[in-house]
Amino acid sequence: MKLEIILGLSSALCLNAMIVQAQETNEVEQLKQQLSQMQENFEQNENKQRQEIEALQKKVDALQQNQTASQNVATAPTNTVTPEQLKELNDKVESVSEAQKKTLPGEFNPAIGFVGETVFSYRSKGSEATGSDRPGGFDVWQRSLEMVASAYVDPFAKGYAVINASADSATSEATLAVEEAALQTTSLPGNLELKAGRFFAEFGRLAYIHDHELPFVNRPLALDEYIGGESQSDGLQLNWLAPFPHYVSMTAGVGDHFGGDSPNPDHPGTFRAFDGLNFWGRFSSYWDLTPNWQLESGVSGLINPKTEDRGGALLQPNGVSTLTEKERRLAGFDVKFSYVPLQDNQFRSFNWGTEVLYSDNRYLSDPDGIPSNGDEFDKNVGSLGMYSYMNYKWSRQWSAGFLFDYVQSTQNHSDVTTDYSPFITFALSHWNQLRLQYTHTSHAAASGLKPDDAIYLQWAWIIGAHSHGWQQR
Amino acid sequence: MKLKLLFVTLIAMLGAAQVQAAKIRVVATLTDLADLTRNIGGDHVEVFSLATGIEDTHGVPMKPSFVPRLNHADLVVNVGFGCEHAFLPALLEASKNPRIQDGHPGYVDCSIGITPLEVPLSTDHSQGDVHPYGNPHYMLDPVLAKTAVQNIYNALVATAPEYEADFTRNRDTYLARLDAKIAGWQEAMKPLKGVKFVSYHEHWCYFAKRFDMDYIGTIELKPGVDPTPRHIEDLVNEMKVKHAQIVVREPQFPEKVPALIAKQTGATLVKLPIMPGGVPDTETYIDEMDYIVHSLVGAIEK
Repeated sequence: MKLEIILGLSSALCLNAMIVQAQETNEVEQLKQQLSQMQENFEQNENKQRQEIEALQKKVDALQQNQTASQNVATAPTNTVTPEQLKELNDKVESVSEAQKKTLPGEFNPAIGFVGETVFSYRSKGSEATGSDRPGGFDVWQRSLEMVASAYVDPFAKGYAVINASADSATSEATLAVEEAALQTTSLPGNLELKAGRFFAEFGRLAYIHDHELPFVNRPLALDEYIGGESQSDGLQLNWLAPFPHYVSMTAGVGDHFGGDSPNPDHPGTFRAFDGLNFWGRFSSYWDLTPNWQLESGVSGLINPKTEDRGGALLQPNGVSTLTEKERRLAGFDVKFSYVPLQDNQFRSFNWGTEVLYSDNRYLSDPDGIPSNGDEFDKNVGSLGMYSYMNYKWSRQWSAGFLFDYVQSTQNHSDVTTDYSPFITFALSHWNQLRLQYTHTSHAAASGLKPDDAIYLQWAWIIGAHSHGWQQR
Repeated sequence: MKLKLLFVTLIAMLGAAQVQAAKIRVVATLTDLADLTRNIGGDHVEVFSLATGIEDTHGVPMKPSFVPRLNHADLVVNVGFGCEHAFLPALLEASKNPRIQDGHPGYVDCSIGITPLEVPLSTDHSQGDVHPYGNPHYMLDPVLAKTAVQNIYNALVATAPEYEADFTRNRDTYLARLDAKIAGWQEAMKPLKGVKFVSYHEHWCYFAKRFDMDYIGTIELKPGVDPTPRHIEDLVNEMKVKHAQIVVREPQFPEKVPALIAKQTGATLVKLPIMPGGVPDTETYIDEMDYIVHSLVGAIEK
């Protein structure tokens, strides 16, 4: 009996316990559901409130920004902004934002610009008499169309490229060439700046200036003869600004070739030693003579110890003997004297610039033009060249000047060419310019060329991004 | 004894050099910004201005002698809105000073917080030498100059927080002085409310808005482009129709055409500086604004 009672009570207790447990389980589930629901509600409310806070914060920021732009900036007034004022400010901000949106498509990254240059000319003699690669008589020549692009590469460097399409002198077909494509550091320590790639090396006064930026139509003869046009090189160039109160700039570079029109010294299959490269340097400084008068001067040097027979065996005027270049050495001195009145330099200015170059190349001279027959000998040819120009501007649109050129051939210093060129420039605007130039050229008898007269009309224009670079100052 | 004296002199010179070196070196592009910086920075700054005051704001010569100044500068204070595009970017590149390049803390663009006027709808050169971010000549509005003050103050505090109390005191003193002058200028300019005028270059839109003048055109065809005879004729006709009373010539521009226009329209020709130092006795920003206000008031009283 006792056993039955115990079993019965136990069973009842267990059953009760199970029921209680089941009830507790239900409650837990309910509580969990409630908790989950509350969490969900909480998160929804939190999100909603966060959105409301963010919206309010934006309004506050916009209001503060408007207040900053409004009258009482620094004094931080306690005046309440009225709804009308707020609306007016919002309208202004919106109109500015809209206007800026419209300008953004024009702000290219990289900045891109084009420069076009057409030269109309008349020359009194044909190219057989002048040695020019342009014909005599009337000539129209799309000398170049340059595309200039530049942008920062990263916080440490910027890059730029100048692609030039110019008309081939023989076929008149446009030929595309990379004039410059270089990387330039922007944050080297010690006032240093490194440039690498293809660029116009810093040498002399005008050698690294593009044709359309010259103060006259044609590149000076001395630069064509001794450098080979622009001072283009594929290489490295390091510039250092001396940390003095006085401006002193020093540049050193090394490159594959030197001169845009210089014969390419690459000989496939051969091995070039270090002294086969070109090395150059420049030192320049500047003085404020008065607030309006300035003087800038520099010396430059170039050496290519082993020129790899640059240009091959050069036939001499006698038609038999040849010269083969073995070493190239060039030194230059330049000076520029400028009047740039502070008050109205857009309307009046004067420049006088002169550069003197001395070339001292070593050649292998072959009197009979027959190679390796034992009669060859080393020969140094020293030759001198210079140009001097002045340019006077008397209004924003008009300026005029005069250029004088003198150059001895690098292969024969008695082969002298001189020319003089008065020119007048009319700038319709900063981006649209016409220049009329007369040039009389004389050659020494040794050259076999004839004197000639030429008239040039140059029309140059710029579209797109256009920056005023340091070199073009 | 002589050796001791030499030693003491050397130490004194070094000390003096250190005191000098402790100053914040600021290069301001224009004289108005240089003046504001001197007023806020006080003895803690050494300020050099690229412009002397007589230059065109867009035509400050790129002198290589500026490069060492910029090379050593802690801050370059500029107008912004592309005002200095013709000379500052190239000078900054030549300076080889990473601290003051655009986007770095030492590059102080005073236009921050200013709502530009005359923002162009397109930036091609058919509109002349247009400023893509809007007209940059806000410094001719003395109220907006207070924003420039604040931007310069912020830059100085960020550069030398140890002098914040001095900068704050200097700024507040200067602003109080400027506020008092503004009240005086606004009172003095009341007779010029609605007065129509033209100028050589588009320098005066902020000034005209502040003092309720009616700026009806420029002698330049477009910014940076000389006027054509047709444009001058149209401008003269418009001035006659609208009864324009004043022709403003900035000292950077030739007098011949403005004088001719003034003669043909009966307007008064007034020569006004665009920054301190532009004409004699305008060495500070307040002097310059005083000169402008008094000249215009004098012109209308004639």
